[in-house]
Amino acid sequence: MRLGLFSRNGLRVLAIDLLAPIAAIAALVYVGIALTWPLWWVSVCSVLCLLIVQGVVVNGVLFRRDGVTVGTDDDGPGLRLAVVGVAAAALVAAVVVGYLNWTVPDRAVDRDSEQDRGIASSAAEASATFSPQSPTASRDRVVALMTPRGADGYRNEFDSMAKDLASKNLSVSASTVSAGVEAIGPTDAVVAVIMRGTQNAPGKPPVVVALPLRVALTKDGDRWLVDGLSPINSR
Amino acid sequence: MPDEPDNETVRRADGVFSALGIGAAVLGAVALVAVVLAALIWTGHRSDVEERAYQTTVLQAAAKWTDVLINMNSGTVAQSMQTLHDGTVGQLNANFEQAVEPFSQVVQKLQSQTVGQVESVSIEALHHSAPGDAGLAKPQQPELATVSTRTDTALVVATSVSQNAGANPLTVHWTLRLGISDVDGKLLVSSLETIR
Repeated sequence: MRLGLFSRNGLRVLAIDLLAPIAAIAALVYVGIALTWPLWWVSVCSVLCLLIVQGVVVNGVLFRRDGVTVGTDDDGPGLRLAVVGVAAAALVAAVVVGYLNWTVPDRAVDRDSEQDRGIASSAAEASATFSPQSPTASRDRVVALMTPRGADGYRNEFDSMAKDLASKNLSVSASTVSAGVEAIGPTDAVVAVIMRGTQNAPGKPPVVVALPLRVALTKDGDRWLVDGLSPINSR
Repeated sequence: MPDEPDNETVRRADGVFSALGIGAAVLGAVALVAVVLAALIWTGHRSDVEERAYQTTVLQAAAKWTDVLINMNSGTVAQSMQTLHDGTVGQLNANFEQAVEPFSQVVQKLQSQTVGQVESVSIEALHHSAPGDAGLAKPQQPELATVSTRTDTALVVATSVSQNAGANPLTVHWTLRLGISDVDGKLLVSSLETIR
């Protein structure tokens, strides 16, 4: 059997006898990295890698004895197909696991943070808006964006604040200047929203102040809901 | 290694492939595509991880710089100003005195002992510049682009409490937008805006 590097047999040895087991082992390690090496995969991966190495060793021994390898044995196309099939299956599994463990969560974080800052900005603006003419309009807007638990707490806070503002006949409005995600996980997020608040009192010039608000969000199914609103520099 | 003419090889070399051979070739092609996809997934994930790590260092740089700004005391004002100046680049560096002088003047005038704390720091992801809001418009710095590879905007909210002898403590709320530029791997502040 001729085995020059670029001969037909040389390429078959390279592809089937060398690259296929290397690719399969690399794929198993890739899956391990993507799964962050759970104990069960350390075990499965060790066993599978050992089997592959054993196969390579047996292949080498048989080559010394018979002068033919899995890659070059024209009487064993089935075995060759199986070797390529196993390597391909391992690589496809690596792609699927990598996609599910890296690409999907990475995209979810980007998508979630975009959604979160929009919801946080809307909720923060509505929470800092009050008009004595329609005292509950902004409250209802905020509550619609909140979790039931957050909404209960917010209603109580709002009612006492609304009473105070209504007695002074004050109206307040706010518009978001900037927003940034402080922290985000798969089911929780905290967004800092900086607004410019304008307070109008009858017969007085409007007062404009920066209003930094921290908005905690939580994921309910596919939907992000506001869990709480608190001023950032409350001291 | 025996170097004998291989009849099997000769027989197969005539270009006729068996169904199993074609199957192996197809699976080989699938494997090659999988290798390319796995590499793309890996590099995509790595760049995402690196981006998040970079953003963390931007936040740290912004918090560190602000920490010096909000903790300026009358006794250490010169040293603090030097630290702040060294941490800047671009127009803020060139016009540093003008930009930060008001803060240091207040500190020196009040002869106060100030303790400040950064309350929140985040990368700005949404910004609405109000019409006619010159103070908040991002200053164009073409010269910065030549030295810096990228600039991110960090939002910093901080509170400082100044103790003056014989007076009530004065609480100052800071709401800052800091431009953080990467200059040869060093993160420097290239713009400072106070949201009022």
